Amino acid sequence: MEKERIRGSLQRIVGGQNVLWNDVDLAVYEYDAGLGRGKPELVVFAHDADQVAQIVKLLYQEGISYVARGSGTNLSGGTVPAKGGVVIELSRMDRILEIDLENERALVEPGVYNLTLQNALAPKGYYYAPDPASQKVSSMGGNLGENAGGPHCLKYGVTSNHILGAEVVFPNGEKIWVGSKAADQPGPDVIGLLVGSEGTLGIATKILVRLMRAPERVVTMLAIFKSVEAAGQTVSDIISEGIIPATLEIMDNLVIRAVEESVHAGYPTDAEAVLIIELDGVTEGMDEQAKRILEICEKNGVVSSRRAKDATERAELWAGRRGAFGAVARLRPAYLVCDGTVPRTKLPEALVAVKRIAEKYKLSIGNVFHAGDGNLHPLILFDDRDHAELERVHKAGSEILKVCADLGGTISGEHGIGTEKLVEMSLVFRESDIETMRGIKAALDPKGLCNPGKLIPAPAGTAKAATA
Amino acid sequence: MASNNALSTTDAGRAAASPGIRELESLGVNVKRVEKPTQEKEAQQILAKAHREKLTVFSCGGGTALGSGVLPEKVDIALDTTGMDRVLAFDGNNLNIAVLGGMTLDAINQFLADQGKGFFLPLDPPLPNRATIGGVYAANGSGPLRLRYGVVRDQALGVRGADARGEEIGFGGKTVKNVSGYDLTKFLVGSGGSLCLITSISFRVYPLPEAASLCDIGFGTVEELEKFLAALRASVLVPSAVVAEPAGARFRALTGFEGHPQAVERQNKDLLALAGKFGGAGDARTGRNAMVEGLRAAVNPDGATQGGLALKITVPIAAGARALAAAGKLCKDNNVAGKAALYAGNGVVVLYAAAEGGAASRLIAGAKGVGQSAGGYTAPIRAHRTVLSGWGARVDPALHRFVLQPIKEKLDPSGVFPPIV
Repeated sequence: MEKERIRGSLQRIVGGQNVLWNDVDLAVYEYDAGLGRGKPELVVFAHDADQVAQIVKLLYQEGISYVARGSGTNLSGGTVPAKGGVVIELSRMDRILEIDLENERALVEPGVYNLTLQNALAPKGYYYAPDPASQKVSSMGGNLGENAGGPHCLKYGVTSNHILGAEVVFPNGEKIWVGSKAADQPGPDVIGLLVGSEGTLGIATKILVRLMRAPERVVTMLAIFKSVEAAGQTVSDIISEGIIPATLEIMDNLVIRAVEESVHAGYPTDAEAVLIIELDGVTEGMDEQAKRILEICEKNGVVSSRRAKDATERAELWAGRRGAFGAVARLRPAYLVCDGTVPRTKLPEALVAVKRIAEKYKLSIGNVFHAGDGNLHPLILFDDRDHAELERVHKAGSEILKVCADLGGTISGEHGIGTEKLVEMSLVFRESDIETMRGIKAALDPKGLCNPGKLIPAPAGTAKAATA
Repeated sequence: MASNNALSTTDAGRAAASPGIRELESLGVNVKRVEKPTQEKEAQQILAKAHREKLTVFSCGGGTALGSGVLPEKVDIALDTTGMDRVLAFDGNNLNIAVLGGMTLDAINQFLADQGKGFFLPLDPPLPNRATIGGVYAANGSGPLRLRYGVVRDQALGVRGADARGEEIGFGGKTVKNVSGYDLTKFLVGSGGSLCLITSISFRVYPLPEAASLCDIGFGTVEELEKFLAALRASVLVPSAVVAEPAGARFRALTGFEGHPQAVERQNKDLLALAGKFGGAGDARTGRNAMVEGLRAAVNPDGATQGGLALKITVPIAAGARALAAAGKLCKDNNVAGKAALYAGNGVVVLYAAAEGGAASRLIAGAKGVGQSAGGYTAPIRAHRTVLSGWGARVDPALHRFVLQPIKEKLDPSGVFPPIV
């Protein structure tokens, strides 16, 4: 890249102060919340969709790769500039453009934090369902790119179920609206393709989301178990009974202790596992349903249980769950969050396998997971200065994903493939499947400039990372 | 090559072909040969042979929504999917099912109802006795239950099929959460068979609710209906489905509730009270059959409109009642028998009309106006090929030129499948 010339061109689009180029400034953009690293050559802050389109057009003409970035909370390397190039920073595009309660829609820019939107909706009696644990800082653009999940996705679905349209700058610089406030745009589900595509097919500059009416009543319960396996079995039994709560979340002892040390959520530190159960909906029938759930807990040997008495106690219970990743970070210098899913009846089996893998590689692994979805998040703790340990971490992580695939699940439930799971894609896809994905990538990004090196593994026999 | 079950161009073959193939021909498509595989492998082999011999393939199930895709003038092979009509796997504990694409919705739901405590797949587009699951997927078909459960994209977990070379492909799986690679399970919904052949699909399923009801309420004017629907959306009630339809000079709203018996009973009561505030009056019937059958009757074509023009108009939710009234008026103004229903809460109007030729063209032009003026879409569900050929762009031309067409050219370079919308 002719750095000076490109820098000048970018500055003409966004203004002089909105381009970073010195090494110290760029270092901040080398990483996200995953383990991968990659250094950009320039960082450019866009303030509106037109600027994004102009930047992308310029980079397309110049043949320079780029990655769009919001808050950088991605956990699989999706926002790391794996091939260098330019980081297009979207965090300053942070306006809620419209809240349309009549049509149950909101239009936001990609840099809006998930929680900012929730906070704007709550006083009006509405909410946006996807609630990733990182919602305080993760941006809506990133949520779209990664198809973010969260505890409440059990009942209401993930990001892709709640994004109805977007203004997208495609890799050739064309700015096109996909979807609208009206449902069912004719033809293939383009927005369904874009959500979860990890920013490899375009950049969303406006996002249209579905709003939901807040439920009349919410009941939150905490159940303590003697083992993670018993908690997992309880989850499976609740669903088999025909009850679909709003959330079913499990944490194991390692995580519970870390959470109590940092967040003080009121979890008993001697518990082997806690299960957070939340019901929502109309008032009638809910107490009866809660009673049935507690009977299922008892059948699985629950040690004790309690119900949040009020909104404050409910918030405390959730603070522990939402703060789990951060709390665990206090235990060792680094951690790897694995993200696999299994059919929920396979949860106990998967948890036993995770324990076995921890012993095999002599690693500490905590478990916090969206149990109702069968979405595991084993947290492997390590010291990233210890290269031998890091190697064991990677092997253990890969083995956990293989367990998920072998049990009929998949290698990512909500964190994406990024750079970290390219090798494991072959656990769940045939070459012809991946070739179809390469075809789509090549159709929309023929120069392979849009977040290259992510999501799609290289064709067999080629050495370099794939850009399709 | 396909087994002995595969049909060819013989008279016997055509006679054994499903009503869907006859529907395809009646819509003006010249079918050279019919193949009716019973297994996925057979279908892949048919496609591989078509690819080698540079033949075009059009897959067809029950033929209830053939207008939602592009109808070519002629096809070399019409692939009748109705021979692929089995459940491949059902897992009640994990709430999922995998079925071959030729199974009808009614057959799937009958199978599910018979398992254990009873389950269901909440997809209820019109004509579920004929609509195959592959066709519903390819046409993005939907019904009133979409209000609570969403549409095909929300229920499909995975899809398997064959690419333009006949190579097996598959995406997604059995779990609800899955962000491994591009979400082709969603992208292919609504693709009308233009990008690949769909042979089987896995879905999430739900336990049959303990209780269900259908509230049937009449309103004197569209203004009353509109205010009622707005108040219902703003309330804490959680209906599974709301359908509105013209009833003579009046309007009728059918609201379905499901769940715990106490919750259903309380919501029935609240709904009737809410309707009363806007001049509505009616009653509540209990039972899931009452709900399902009532909703079905409202959204299916009637005797006068079956086999005629069928359109879908989608508008922002709040504009739904006005779009419904406008659709009804279109039929009156054009002096054709018509039937319209609104999936209220989703802004989707289905319009059936006993219209052909010039009347059909005028009706389409009017329906396009209804969709466009509200910022929505108008799309065909059933129409003769000659009518469709003059339809014009169905999506934003830029989206077609820069997104859809490049993908079509990459995935189907030799044009085995029909064109993309």
